[in-house]
Amino acid sequence: MARNRRREFSEDEFFGFAKSYLSEAFPNPQRIGCPADSDLMRMGEHPVEARDAATSEHLTHCSPCFKRYMEILAALKQQSSRTP
Amino acid sequence: MATERSPVPLRLNPVDRHGKEINPAVLAAAEEVIPSALEYGLKMLRDPALVANVLEEVAAAVSRQMSSKDPPGEPLPIQNLAGYVFRGFVRRVNRLKSKQPPLVSSDGDGQPQTVRWADPTRALETKILVGECLAQLDFVTRDMFWRRAQGYSWRDIGKIHGLSGHAAEVRFRSALGRAQVRLRRGRRSLPSATRADQTEELKPAMQNDGEK
Repeated sequence: MARNRRREFSEDEFFGFAKSYLSEAFPNPQRIGCPADSDLMRMGEHPVEARDAATSEHLTHCSPCFKRYMEILAALKQQSSRTP
Repeated sequence: MATERSPVPLRLNPVDRHGKEINPAVLAAAEEVIPSALEYGLKMLRDPALVANVLEEVAAAVSRQMSSKDPPGEPLPIQNLAGYVFRGFVRRVNRLKSKQPPLVSSDGDGQPQTVRWADPTRALETKILVGECLAQLDFVTRDMFWRRAQGYSWRDIGKIHGLSGHAAEVRFRSALGRAQVRLRRGRRSLPSATRADQTEELKPAMQNDGEK
């Protein structure tokens, strides 16, 4: 997946790069247009397009929110692995 | 949004990111070696999520090995399971490290790791691909992107969206494939001189990015 003409990178490399890039490319120090933490949490738990489309779109150009969302997803992943 | 970021401790899942199950005894052994694995893995790979993924994959591989070789009820032939898992982890980390693209800079302050490829053209192409993907993916596939970037298995992603793991993977890959095709078409539609000029214009900006 994610190969270009020269089949240069694997899926892990692609997502690793994407994660690093999105974590720092859009600093947004004024936190313009950032959703509330609860919105990110809700989207992480149960994504619903009608409600969360703007929040998801925001993550594409806001590194602080992207990083926070990655943390939320990591925490949810751990939580779900502990519950049968 | 201005909340405090809480550090997330490293925990292992009983299933690796490919959906392979981990035997409880192996999981316990893998959890035992987390401190050493973190110490070594972070030095080599710099990403705790990646370290956890590798450790889970090794634990799943050891579990499979045990179930295929050991008749049920027989004692485990591996005397030091934790040591065995850790050695497997080190081998896999070393293999990953040797395949990893060269890093030109990184920060180690606990923030998500900075990974940049030494080849600026490659880095630029990947940035464009990431941007293109995110712009073109619909809500569901973009959510898959976020979760996959965080190391979710396709099975977990599928469950969230009411799909099988395979269906989720196919849906995401075809969306990504479409983004790549559009990207290539966009390149082709530019005259070569313009493309070169554009790349030259973008290079300084990218290098500045790298200095951030």
